[in-house]
Amino acid sequence: MAVDEESDTSPRNSTGGENTENKRNEGRGEEERAFECNICLDTAKDAVISMCGHLFCWPCLHQWLETRPNRQSCPVCKAAISRDKVIPLYGRGGSKEDPREKLPPRPQGQRTEPENTGAFSNFGFDGGFQMSFGIGAFPFGLFASTFNFGDPVIRGHGAHGTNPANLEDERFLSQLFLWVAILFIFWLLVA
Amino acid sequence: MANIAVQRIKRELKEVLNSDEVARCSIHVELVGESFAELKGEIAGPPDTPYEGARFQLEIKIPETYPFNPPKVRFVTKIWHPNVSSVTGAICLDILKHQWAAAMTLRTVLLSLQALLASPEPDDPQDAVVARQCKDKPQIFHLTAQHWANAYAGGPSINTDYENKIRRLKDLGVTEMNARASLSSCDWDLERATEQIFS
Repeated sequence: MAVDEESDTSPRNSTGGENTENKRNEGRGEEERAFECNICLDTAKDAVISMCGHLFCWPCLHQWLETRPNRQSCPVCKAAISRDKVIPLYGRGGSKEDPREKLPPRPQGQRTEPENTGAFSNFGFDGGFQMSFGIGAFPFGLFASTFNFGDPVIRGHGAHGTNPANLEDERFLSQLFLWVAILFIFWLLVA
Repeated sequence: MANIAVQRIKRELKEVLNSDEVARCSIHVELVGESFAELKGEIAGPPDTPYEGARFQLEIKIPETYPFNPPKVRFVTKIWHPNVSSVTGAICLDILKHQWAAAMTLRTVLLSLQALLASPEPDDPQDAVVARQCKDKPQIFHLTAQHWANAYAGGPSINTDYENKIRRLKDLGVTEMNARASLSSCDWDLERATEQIFS
């Protein structure tokens, strides 16, 4: 039984008698308890944390979510919870073994690249312009707007130096594409 | 029994036994047999209620799927309370049903039951007769709950008027328990209770 394990590991060489021994046990317990899974009450394995800040083993939380698929709430505070909104905790020492291989893997952590604020004013204008074009022209519009959305990302990376000649070139290019597009539509109408 | 359930119960027993409430003798839990599937709980009647000074035994059954599903808890000690059946001891409490959450423990369940004793919910009753009395005749309800606590749970207040009425019925060959139940549900009207029993 767990009670026995506890007393086995209690410090033997304390001289203060039972009281200090008890206190020491409690102190250590509290330290460990901060990282206990709120469901199995054991130290959290494959730890995940909810948006409301509560710690669980992933297998425990997964089983809880499976138990009541219609009404998913945090087992501690009953806040709304879902498997997409838990964050895995990656400590330094990984868990030695995972006996629950049948479970779906713990959800991935979400990583977003830091935003690049370099060339905002520029492609803000371009984007607006190309969008209105895209809506106007039916078959070509799809291509044009997709093409345009891909473009600023590349530009964002390159525009750190803010070479005016480069910007000029790109403006010329977009003009060119616009004319090509208009010609294409014209050709479509004629043909 | 599932391993996680056994582990949880072991840890919870330790938690309950180290808790302040046990130190104050307000709650208690112990194992029944070796299996961890059944436990015996005990709660003290909360102060400033008709249950003050009484102690109530509870039967706690741990399901295979614990802690993902709630334990099944029932009053073994008879109690007069709108949310507990005066006949079977069945409890109407949301956290023991749909409001259960896996982070709740035996300790929090027992404390919730104690809180239920302190604040009855007659609008969501388990025992309709008790609930009606609680709403319509709160004074009689208070005295009856106090009398039941004295008769079954070691409560301190003795109500000689109620005792006498029970004795009258016992003289007619009615068992004490039936006499008490009938009189309680008839708001201690001896005539109505006699009618109810012999009709």
